[in-house]
This record gives sequence, C-alpha cells and structure tokens, in this order.
Amino acid sequence: MAVPRNIKIRNRRFTRRALMLGTAQIGLFGVLGWRLRQLQVVESSKYSLLAEENRINIQLLAPRRGLIVDRFGEPVATNTDRMRVFVLPELTQNLVDSLDRLGDIIDVSPNVRARVLRLARRQSPYIPIVVDDTLSWQQFAQLNVMAPGLPGIRTDILSVREYHGGHHMAHIVGYVGAADREEVREAPVTRLPGFRVGKTGVEKGLEPKLRGKAGVVKLEVDAHGNAVRKLETLASEPGREVVLTIDAEVQKAAMERLKDERRAAAVGLDVRTGEVLVMASTPSFDPNDIVYGLKDGVWQSMADAEDDPLTNKAIRGQYPPGSTFKMVTALAGLEAGVITTKTRFHCYGGYSYSNAYFGCWKKRGHRATNVRKAIKESCDVFFYKVAERIGITKLSAMGHKLGLGETYEFGLPLQKPGVMPTPGWKRANLGKPWYGGETIIAGIGQGFVLTTPLQLAVMTARIATGRAVVPRIVRPDPDEQVAEAEPLDIKPEHLEIMRESMWAVVNEGGGTAGRSRLPIAGVEMAGKTGTSQVNSASSGRKSSSLKWHQRDHGLFVGYAPADNPRYAVAAIIEHGGSGSRAAAPVVRDIMTALMERDPVGKPGYVSRDAERKTAGGTARGGES
Amino acid sequence: MFAGPLEAPRLSFGEKLLALNWVFVLLISCLACVGAAALYSVAGGSFDPWAETHVIRYCLGLGLLFAVALTDIRVWVRLAYPVYFVALALLAAVPLIGVESGGAQRWLQFGHLSFQPAELMKVALVLALARYFEWLPAKYISNPLALILPVLMIVVPVGLVVIQPDLGTAVLFAAVGGGLLFLAGASWIYFVFGIVGVLGAVPFVWNLLHEYQQARVLTFIDPGQDPLGAGYHILQSKIALGSGGVTGKGYMQGTQSQLNFLPEKHTDFIFTMFAEEMGFIGSVSLLIVYLLVLLSIVYMAVRCQSQFARLVAAGVGITLFVYVFINVAMVMGLVPVVGVPLPLVSYGGTSMITLMFGFGLVLNAHVHRRTRLRRHEIGVL
Repeated sequence: MAVPRNIKIRNRRFTRRALMLGTAQIGLFGVLGWRLRQLQVVESSKYSLLAEENRINIQLLAPRRGLIVDRFGEPVATNTDRMRVFVLPELTQNLVDSLDRLGDIIDVSPNVRARVLRLARRQSPYIPIVVDDTLSWQQFAQLNVMAPGLPGIRTDILSVREYHGGHHMAHIVGYVGAADREEVREAPVTRLPGFRVGKTGVEKGLEPKLRGKAGVVKLEVDAHGNAVRKLETLASEPGREVVLTIDAEVQKAAMERLKDERRAAAVGLDVRTGEVLVMASTPSFDPNDIVYGLKDGVWQSMADAEDDPLTNKAIRGQYPPGSTFKMVTALAGLEAGVITTKTRFHCYGGYSYSNAYFGCWKKRGHRATNVRKAIKESCDVFFYKVAERIGITKLSAMGHKLGLGETYEFGLPLQKPGVMPTPGWKRANLGKPWYGGETIIAGIGQGFVLTTPLQLAVMTARIATGRAVVPRIVRPDPDEQVAEAEPLDIKPEHLEIMRESMWAVVNEGGGTAGRSRLPIAGVEMAGKTGTSQVNSASSGRKSSSLKWHQRDHGLFVGYAPADNPRYAVAAIIEHGGSGSRAAAPVVRDIMTALMERDPVGKPGYVSRDAERKTAGGTARGGES
Repeated sequence: MFAGPLEAPRLSFGEKLLALNWVFVLLISCLACVGAAALYSVAGGSFDPWAETHVIRYCLGLGLLFAVALTDIRVWVRLAYPVYFVALALLAAVPLIGVESGGAQRWLQFGHLSFQPAELMKVALVLALARYFEWLPAKYISNPLALILPVLMIVVPVGLVVIQPDLGTAVLFAAVGGGLLFLAGASWIYFVFGIVGVLGAVPFVWNLLHEYQQARVLTFIDPGQDPLGAGYHILQSKIALGSGGVTGKGYMQGTQSQLNFLPEKHTDFIFTMFAEEMGFIGSVSLLIVYLLVLLSIVYMAVRCQSQFARLVAAGVGITLFVYVFINVAMVMGLVPVVGVPLPLVSYGGTSMITLMFGFGLVLNAHVHRRTRLRRHEIGVL
C-alpha cells in the first residue's frame, strides 16, 4: 500500500524538525553545562569563600574576671552570677498572658507586673525588660526548660562584680563599669554585653591581670543566625587573682576611726617593703551601688557631693605638708653642709626677710634652737633660716629623694604628683619668677609645696629605714624575688638625728605630739606633727573661732616601733585645726591597730592561681 | 517506511509489554532515585518527611505510566478533545471559584482535594494538538486558515494561566504549542512572524505583570542589587553551586543547604542542593541523564508512524525539556525565578502525576508506533 506523497513529505519534515529540536536541546543543555562549569569550576574558590563566610560565626568568650583578696585571702572583689529573667515584648503577641504564665513559675509581684507593662507601653518592643534578677538556680533551670511555652520570656546569666567591705575598701579596689569607646577599640572583647572593665582603683590599675584573655568559639550558624554546632573552641583564660597588701581588718579599723571626720585620709605602710597595709579616705562610697543598679541621680549626687566621696584623697588629695616637711628641710641642710647637728639658730618668734616678716607659731620664740629641738618643738624660724641658706632647688631635690612629688606605678591609677616647687616649675606653670620669700615658707612645707598622704607615708618610711622604699599594693607572687630597697644617698648620721628628733616629738616632754604616745607598753612611736595653713585668715587665731573650711589642716606622720621601725603611717585631717590635736591621735590609733595585729609578722595568703593555669573559660554575660 | 504486517489493528498485552521501551523506564527511575536520595539529604538524613513519600508516589506513578502506555492509542485519540475541553473549562473556572495562595490563584478545591487545572492542561494541550494534526490533511498544514484553530487552542490556555498569574506555565504552554506546530510541519514563516510578534508584545506584557513578577525579572537581571531581598535566593543558590566545586562537598555535607541558606531546597532548588553536595561531576551527570531521556523521546517520536503518536511523544518531550531547562537555568541565575520543579527529582505530587501520565503517553506512542489510525476508527472529534 503506497503512502501518499504529501504524507511522506510530512513524515520526513517531522523527522527533520524533530532532529533539529533534539539538537537544539543538546545545545541548550550545553549552555547549562557551560554555566555550571563557570560556577563550579572556574569561580568555585570565590563561592567557597562566600559559603564559609555564610556559615561561620566567630564569637568571643568573655574571660572570668580575677578575684581580689586582701593579704590574708579575705575576699575584696568577687564575681556573682545573677540569673535574670526578662521579657522581650517584641517576641510575644500577648504580654499579659506571657506574664501570667511566668507568674505560675516564679513570683511576680503586682508592682513588678505594673512596672513591666508600663515600660512595655513606653519603650521600643526590642528593649528587654528585666522582670527578676535574683532567680535561684532551680527557678532559672525551670524557666529554661519551660521556655517554649513562654513566648517573649528569656533568661540570661550576668556575671556581676561584688565588693566585700563596702565603704571600707572602695577607694583601693575601685569599681568596674562598661567599657568606653577607647577601651572597645583596644580590646574587642569588652564589647560583649555585660562585660565590665576597671574604672578606678586596683580594678583599673591591674586591669590586664584581672581581665584574663578572651576565648574564641567558631560557630556554624544557619541562615537565621542560630548556632548549629561548635567548630572550634579556644577557651578563655580567666583573670588572675590579685592579692592586695592591704589588711582588710586594719583598713576597716582605720576607716571607722576616720568616719567622724568630714574629709580625711591616712596611709599605713610596711616600712621595709613599702607594702600598703592601710589606705583610708573619707568620705567613701559603696562600689556595689555603682556596679549594679545605680540610678543616674545617685551617681550624679555622688560625683557632685561637696566632700567628694569618689576621690581617693590618700593619693589624689594634695595638701601643703606643713611642719611634716621639716625633716626634708633639715636633711637638705645637713646634707648640703649649711648646718650640722650642732648648729644653733636663735628664734625670737619670727624672721624678717626682705621687707617681709615670717612668724614662728610660738610668738615668744624658741630661743637657741638646734635641729633636734627645732623638730621636736617644730620651730619655724630655724627652718626659715635653713631654707634660705640652701635654696629652693636643693630643698625640692631632697623632697624627691624622700619620695615627695613623685607618683608610683604600683596598681593605683590616677595618683596626683603633688608639687616640689622649683623656679623652673613656677615659670612653666605660673609664668612668674621665683621669689626668695617663697623659699622661706617652702622650708616649713607651706607656699607652693604640696604632697599627698601616700607620699608623706613613703617619706616617713624612707627616713625610718634609710632606704628608698617604694609603695606597693599587690603582694609579690610566691616565686617573685623582691629586692630590698636601695639605701638612700643620705649620711646615716643625718638620718639618725632625724629619727631621734622624731622620737622626741612624741616621747619627750615638750614634744608637739606628747599626747599621742602609743598605749602599748614598750612600743614607742616616732613622728612629726604638721599644721598647714589653708588661708591667711587662720593665722594667729584659734581654730574654734573659724568656719570649718577656714581652719588649718592637721597632719601627722609617724613610724613605730621607734627603735626597730616596722610601720609608717601618715594622716591628714582636712581643716582639722592642728596636727597634734587632730591628726596625731588618728595616727596613734591606726598605729596601735597595726602593732596589735601585726599583719607583717603573720604569714600572708598565697594565691592558688598558679595551680589552675589551664582552667577552661566559659561564656558569660550572653544570652543562655 | 515501516508499513507492513505490524499494521495489525490490535496488539496483544504481551506484545505491548515487550514493545515498551524499558531503557526509558530505567532512565526515569534513575531520576526518581536521585530525587529520593536528594530528599533524604535535604531532611538531614531522614526518609521522613519527603524521601519516603517521593518513592511511594513514584511507584504509584509507574502504575499510572504502565496503565496509560498499555491502553489502546485510539482511546487517547478519542479522549483528546474531551479532556482538552474539560481542562479548559476547569482552567476558566479558576478565576471564578479558585483558591488563592501565595499571590496567585491556581488551585481548585474539591472537598479535601485541591487540584491545579493547569497541570491537566499540560497533558490535554499536547493530546488536543496532536489530535488536530492527526486529523488535518497533510496538504493543508501550512494553510493559514488551518492554523487558526490550533493557535487558538494554545492562546486561550496561555491567556488563562497568565491571568492567574502563572508565568512559568504560560511559557510552558507557549513552548509546547509552538513546538508542536513546528513539528507538525507549519511553514517557517509563521515562526519568524511569531517570534517578532512576541518580542513586539514584550512592553505590553511587562505592564500586565504583577509587581512580584516584575521584581523577579529585575532581580534576575541584577541579583546583587538587593542581596537580602529578592536577589538573596539566587545569590545563595549560586554560592551553593559554586562552593560545591568539581567534586562537591559530599553527600549530606552541603553547608548552604543543610544550614538553610537555600530556599525551598526540597522543591524548586533541589538541583542546587544536589550540585552543592555532588559537585560539577554530579550535576553534569544528572543533566546527561535528563538529556538521554529527552533524546530517547525524540528517538521514539521519530519512529512513530502516526502523526498523533509522534506529536504526543514529542510534546511531552518538549514539556520535560522546558521544565528541566527553566529549573536548572533558574537556580544558576540564567533566567528569572519562576516556580518550576525539577521533573521527578523535586518533591511534589501534582507534577509527578502529570509527568508520569505524560511519560505514559510517550510509551503509549512507542508501543503503538506502527499503528495506523484510520478515519473511521477515530472520527472527527
């Protein structure tokens, strides 16, 4: 049977066109293959990188902050985990319902409830509102288990710094706070929520040691940013424990002793090692109020308070040292050879110098006075004359030699240097030439001379030991060799006459601090009173007739035992009237506490830190 | 060509089974297995919820395929127009009683069953056009009057899916319809005019497009423009493909897909996930399997005696090709994102039924390749 011609043509045409179509399909598949090759072979490395960036999220692990303890291991600053529950209004449709359900698990008081609802109305729904920050472990665990049924309810653990000893240790230990922009730039880990860095005190001064090292965790994340698994963890290294040289017990006693003063400071040192045992400054504050839950108003009122509770006056208070500076003048004179231990000057109650008259505190005068008597009775005229003969430059050089006008790198930041004036200093700072009269009053620690209580304590320790003792506030590591301080470049017999004179101040009839002998049998204190004029109104008038802020500062420096020095203490009572009445008893009491407890004689606490070198760190302060 | 004794009007069941193209069945089974393996990986190493269902559906689909293939071809010839009109009626009913989902109205709901008339039309259009050209005497093939009817048969369903709107299906209908007109032997001139006409219509069609469709096209042109918005999926898909490299990240090791950077990876983006884990070698191999299926359909179509049989086979082949090409080109960023699944690999019951039905028709044509259809046996309608 013949196939019609046009059917044949149609069939042939179909075959031809079907083959064309098949060829076209092969060609278009070729395009797909070419494109695949482009993506998977040629540009593969580029896309592999993008895929890695997609899936890997690097997170920092906050190290646990090192503890701070006193020399006997008593906790000063520790970390507390505060388990919190908060609501994110954005994540719940029905906040009231979520709070109801939360109320079934933990106690939510009507007050708290009202506060949460009020805040939720007022602020952005993305801002978490803390419902309770004092959860127990049990409640915390329970909430985490029930989380799926609690829309918008989240929990976290916040590591909060806790300070023990409250007001007593505040100025030494300082406090922590959120990192500022500069700190974040230096160490990215500080950007973690809840991360705290030291702001003042030892917390700031020893920040690198306390902070530890941040860990890193590489997380594989899905498209929504949820962590799927950990790829790699580099544990954080917790901060080191810091053992202070402070004896919390004596510190407390000193703070209690100063409590009744309006503004005062005292520093007590181990004369041989320079270890600071006591550093008191009043008024004070409770750092716990600052690190957690401080309301803005409270902070402002603290910062603006008239008596400046936030300032550590022991290192930042700069006062004219008054007569406590006379050992500097005496030693400068003896070393320069302008006087000897036997040199006598006559005191008639004052001294005229170039049209000016400089009075002695004792109007009747001290008559013939050698250096020993001049210190014991605090004759001003004697030191006017010595100062005039040696000049300001040598005087200030002796001040520096004894530790005045210096700051010390030992873990307490924000120290003030005080002033050991020289003509150069005056020109640079005031733009005026030096006048001879200014040397005269510098000789009794007035005029431009300014010192801090810490410096005065260092000076006292240096005179007592004859060595260039420097203060320290952190105990040396067990394996650390502490070299004894270098001897001072001062003739021993000159130092000896100072010590003898200072002994006489307290223990000899006619000494200015005779009323402040130690109440401990067989232990004698050596010291020096100082009364520094604050303004001219006070000269020659009784303190009691003056307004508080016009009264003289009372100072006292002392060490004990006089025959074998162990402790040096310096104190200043701002506007306390006089050194002998206001400051000497304070030093006496602190010294008594030190002698009775004798912290230097007892074995100190040895940090166990070295043993747990490889302890693993855990993430803190993030969402759980 | 092969006119001879096999012109016998009826084939026995055994003869039909032997006449089936078993290589073809093997090839499509191969694709279904790739699909099951990929779905197992998508679920993170679990048969639940996709791989198991996929395999069951494929097995049921095979039953359908054999049933369709072994039915006498004349039944399909006779059913061609009725099926087409039913499909057309249902498609026309969609805008009136259809269910809307995802910005488009595509579904009809019958009790618990929901159903896309467009799927039925994919088969019906092929059958109806094949039926028409079977009837059309060969000498009239390029007569413009003779082409009015088939063009209408194509344009009406295209128009109905465009208003749903379902761009992917409209393109598919147009491609299948145009392809069948071409294979049936219509003159080249019509196609030249047709292409010019389509290009001229582009600005008008653009205005008719919904905003989300325009966004897809714009995103396609520059996916980097909005990496977290509409371009995100294409970008992530390209990252997945590219990071797979030559040998792939290994089965179930694809980071992009396992970590949910890929959208709809069990349906439209399954090729991406397969290519990420299996690499260039795996993805090219898969494309080759598809190409083998397509070429075997061409081969089967060419060998058919009747116009109806070969046009049906070729029409299903074009459908398959358009599916694969659009899907793969889409995930590689060569064409805009249109919701087209990868045949037999993507998860989805509706497209599986449509495809297996279509493949059944291909095999039916193959089985009846020597059958001559006579006027009196099939009638005009």
